[in-house]
Amino acid sequence: MSVGHTIISLLGALLMASPVFGQAMNTPEDLAATGFFRDQDTLPGSFRFYQQLPGGEERLWGIGPSHPKIRRSSFKLDAHEDVADFSQQVRCQKCHEPQTKDLHGLRMDISCVQCHRNQPVSGVFQYYSPLNPIRRHAYVCAKCHEGASPSFASYMVHEPNPIASETRSTFPAFYYAVWFMLILAGGVFVFFLPYTVLWWLRDLIAKFKRSAGHA
Amino acid sequence: MPEQRTRLKRFTPVHRLWHLTLMLLFMLLSVTGVAWMFYETQWGRELAGLFGGYQGALEVHKIGGLVLLAALLLHIPYLFYCIDWKKFPGSLLNANSLVFQWEDIKGFFGHIGWVFGLNDLPKYERWGWWAKFDYWAVWWGLTIVGVTGLMLYDPVLTSDYMPGWMLNVALWVHRIEAVLAMGHIFTVHFTVEHWRPGNFPFNAGMFDGTMPLEEARHDHAAWVARLEGEGRLDAALVAPPPVPLRILYFVFGYSIILLGIYLLVFAVTNAALLTLF
Repeated sequence: MSVGHTIISLLGALLMASPVFGQAMNTPEDLAATGFFRDQDTLPGSFRFYQQLPGGEERLWGIGPSHPKIRRSSFKLDAHEDVADFSQQVRCQKCHEPQTKDLHGLRMDISCVQCHRNQPVSGVFQYYSPLNPIRRHAYVCAKCHEGASPSFASYMVHEPNPIASETRSTFPAFYYAVWFMLILAGGVFVFFLPYTVLWWLRDLIAKFKRSAGHA
Repeated sequence: MPEQRTRLKRFTPVHRLWHLTLMLLFMLLSVTGVAWMFYETQWGRELAGLFGGYQGALEVHKIGGLVLLAALLLHIPYLFYCIDWKKFPGSLLNANSLVFQWEDIKGFFGHIGWVFGLNDLPKYERWGWWAKFDYWAVWWGLTIVGVTGLMLYDPVLTSDYMPGWMLNVALWVHRIEAVLAMGHIFTVHFTVEHWRPGNFPFNAGMFDGTMPLEEARHDHAAWVARLEGEGRLDAALVAPPPVPLRILYFVFGYSIILLGIYLLVFAVTNAALLTLF
């Protein structure tokens, strides 16, 4: 290698690499990164995809999901620390039955520890938990959903009951959208199903009358 | 001796082609969608097995959905082609138009009155209020399932443009609209078009494009009167299609109807096994 090349390489290394030294990778964009580039990442303005609001929850004018109360155990390294009768031999379903009844569990047979990791199961907001929202997308979702972003990770795997009244405050968009659709569908059925039966009967009568008239 | 020209031309070949395309894609999307929705039940897994499991069923569902959306987009220039621009915008309200008009509101309430024996059947034009409802229901239905379906097509890509929790919303909206569409077609549409005493057991109108003149005089009196007044009735009459074609229409039509009934019956009987919340 020539001297000129060496100088250029050194200069390049100094110029390119210097910001990395002594600087922690902890900007929101760094934490949100998935670790590889996709086609749309190279478009102008693509940084928007990685922007997160403070708290990591983009609620979109308050209609998205919120966590009104988070249990203390969700911040613990061992979420079951204070559960008196906890044993590693007890199946998760014994206490967390509703959480097994969603698309991931029912249709894909995904087991709890595939996302919540093995014992001790840490609380999802524990700083080092793989399910902590700052890294959930990369450490958990991306295992199956290649390229998952923080926005993607805001999908509610354990979704609430959309028609329950609590959901109106915890996830308004979900509650109102599902109720709107149910009223629309229900309205169509409530009118058309009985009306079609009556229409059928009326047609039968009309047919009899017409054939009687011809006879 | 040629058969008598007893049938009135009602649907053009292009109308029938749109209906055929919609029908085939609708059934494909119904089977694959129901298979996926009932995947936690034995029946759903068997249904998905026809497509090589859930991945195959989902793949076919996605491709079928894209083709149907493409057909919907293609329908827009066709609509523009159908509009009589020389007499626009008045032509939107002519008797052949599918746009809802004051006459349809009167026709709707007149129909209710007739069902309850309060008045005679209103004199309907070419399209009754129920036909117009069915036509526009496809528009709003496909818009709702189409937008949510596109969102669910690639969830990772979608969540770049909107919060990921919108997918929770999209899946439920998609699901309810699909249940509404299937429920309506497999009960109301089949009954009104095929099983009413006048049409039973099978109304091939959407296949051969005609309806019996006798029936039209009763169900679409204003239309027949208009054709007679304009001296166009004779030109609009045709003989029934040849017997082999009638058999083909019946067998093909009924295989679709039976598929719909099969989905309806098994979906209802398996509904209790479904975990929704």
